[in-house]
Amino acid sequence: MKHDKAIIWIILFLLPTLLLFIAIYGLPLLTVIATAFTDWRLSKPLTFVGLDNFKRLLFQDDNARRAILNTVVWVLIQSTLHVALGTLLAFLAFRRKRIWNALSISYMIPNIISPVVRGMIFLFVFNPQYGLVNSFIRRFINPEFTQNWFFDPSTAFFTVTLGWFLFAAIVMLLIHAQMATISQSILESAMIDGASDFQIKIHIILPLIKPMIGTCIILSATSMLKEFEFIYVTTQGGPGNVTLSLPLYLYKTALLENNYGYANTIGVLLIVFGILIILGINRLFLVNKDAE
Amino acid sequence: MPNNKLSGKITKSFSQILGYCFIIIVICMSLYPLIWVLMSSFKTTYQIIDAPLSLPKSISLYGYKLAFEISPFLLFYRNSILVTLFGVLGNIIILALSAYVLARFKFRGRNVIILILSVSLILPATALIQPIYMLVIKTGLYDTKTALCLVYIALGLPITLYILLGYYKTIPKAIEESAMLEGASFPQIFFKIIVPISSPGYATAAVLQFILCWQEFLFAFILTTGNRSRTLPIALQYFLSQFNTNYTALFAAIIMFVIPIIVFFIIFQKQIISGLTDGSVKE
Repeated sequence: MKHDKAIIWIILFLLPTLLLFIAIYGLPLLTVIATAFTDWRLSKPLTFVGLDNFKRLLFQDDNARRAILNTVVWVLIQSTLHVALGTLLAFLAFRRKRIWNALSISYMIPNIISPVVRGMIFLFVFNPQYGLVNSFIRRFINPEFTQNWFFDPSTAFFTVTLGWFLFAAIVMLLIHAQMATISQSILESAMIDGASDFQIKIHIILPLIKPMIGTCIILSATSMLKEFEFIYVTTQGGPGNVTLSLPLYLYKTALLENNYGYANTIGVLLIVFGILIILGINRLFLVNKDAE
Repeated sequence: MPNNKLSGKITKSFSQILGYCFIIIVICMSLYPLIWVLMSSFKTTYQIIDAPLSLPKSISLYGYKLAFEISPFLLFYRNSILVTLFGVLGNIIILALSAYVLARFKFRGRNVIILILSVSLILPATALIQPIYMLVIKTGLYDTKTALCLVYIALGLPITLYILLGYYKTIPKAIEESAMLEGASFPQIFFKIIVPISSPGYATAAVLQFILCWQEFLFAFILTTGNRSRTLPIALQYFLSQFNTNYTALFAAIIMFVIPIIVFFIIFQKQIISGLTDGSVKE
């Protein structure tokens, strides 16, 4: 292609994407970083306060402490148990075409309906009065059972966690797709050498899908940095602040308290968490080792 | 050692049965709550509370009628369809253009642009709600479907970009080179040759973008007020908080939201699954 003529087209083709990127990601990102060091509210002019917001966020604010703790626990659960669940299912259905079809379609459905709807369905399933779970327990185990799963502080965290922990279909899909690329001859020669099914899974398949497990951990862990809908629809962070997440706290600070500077400090923390997760997991699992 | 072999077989089949049981539990857990919601949507509120586990005595569509009566459900449907339609079209069009240029031409700044655009891949969009909210208010787009479309086009930017970059790279360069020798211009090559062969790539990206637009909650929630631009997820949440004792209508509303997405998933499961996996699976 002749470059002098093409350059105009190149610019024209890139322009809409670049403009949109600047508007929705670029400028907002710079705003978040810059105003995290300021006191900026709806009613007051913006003043520079240095690291005050960060000190408050990390050491003085009880809600923030709870939100950070919850988010860290959820990140850990998602990056271990959740990924393990998806991986286990991929292994169980590997090379069993019918089972795989039934499992992948039905398991994807609750993953693909929006978290808002999943949250609403969960509210009903765990409703103390007429919910599915309590109705079953009342019928078969204890007729007096009235546990209020979502709004009793002792079970709220557990119940909310189930809302994403159980739904590992994306992990399952990714692991299964990676397993499908393993060449048949490797598995066959291992079988001829007398390796058992279990040995093949542990010593041959698992090392080959390790980078993909790393990718799944990154996806699952960082999804917790976006978690808003499910909690908002179910507990709204309560009872008290037992199920508060950082994105929900950010939303409350920005739009209900109109404390923009502090909200953006929470935003910076979220971004830093995201970068740390990606760098840490990449290092552990060498996800990009074969990316030339 | 026949004995050993036999016991090995027994443990093997035992673990297999255990595996099947586990898979069946997962399938039930995935489908049963939805079936239960569907059943309940045909019951009266009294029946839902009185006999939650039983089948509906008769199929009553009262809940569906009520859902339409107590909220402008059709308007929310229309909003969701419009926002999704333009969110998908806009996203695919602008990224079909830019991903092509980024995949095909070596010009100064190309790698920097790809690197900068990749920032959107690792950035949690939740961290940006305050400035995006301000931007939308300042540009006078608050409570408009236009704002939602623009935000959704941007939210889908990283995924669509990666799918299309990957797809364009599979097209042999020879096709364009021979067209160029015959004197075709840049836009001719792109619109007459590249766009038609790339339609499977566009379809995969469009399907994922559809799911994003149809379900997005957070930005729809902070960027709209009142009924004018509310999409279905917000309407459902509003419904839940306003009419939270009218279970029949609520269950019916959930079903009406969920049905299109399930039908869509069943039709396009191949594209959805390949869209989700292709980019990350390495041979």
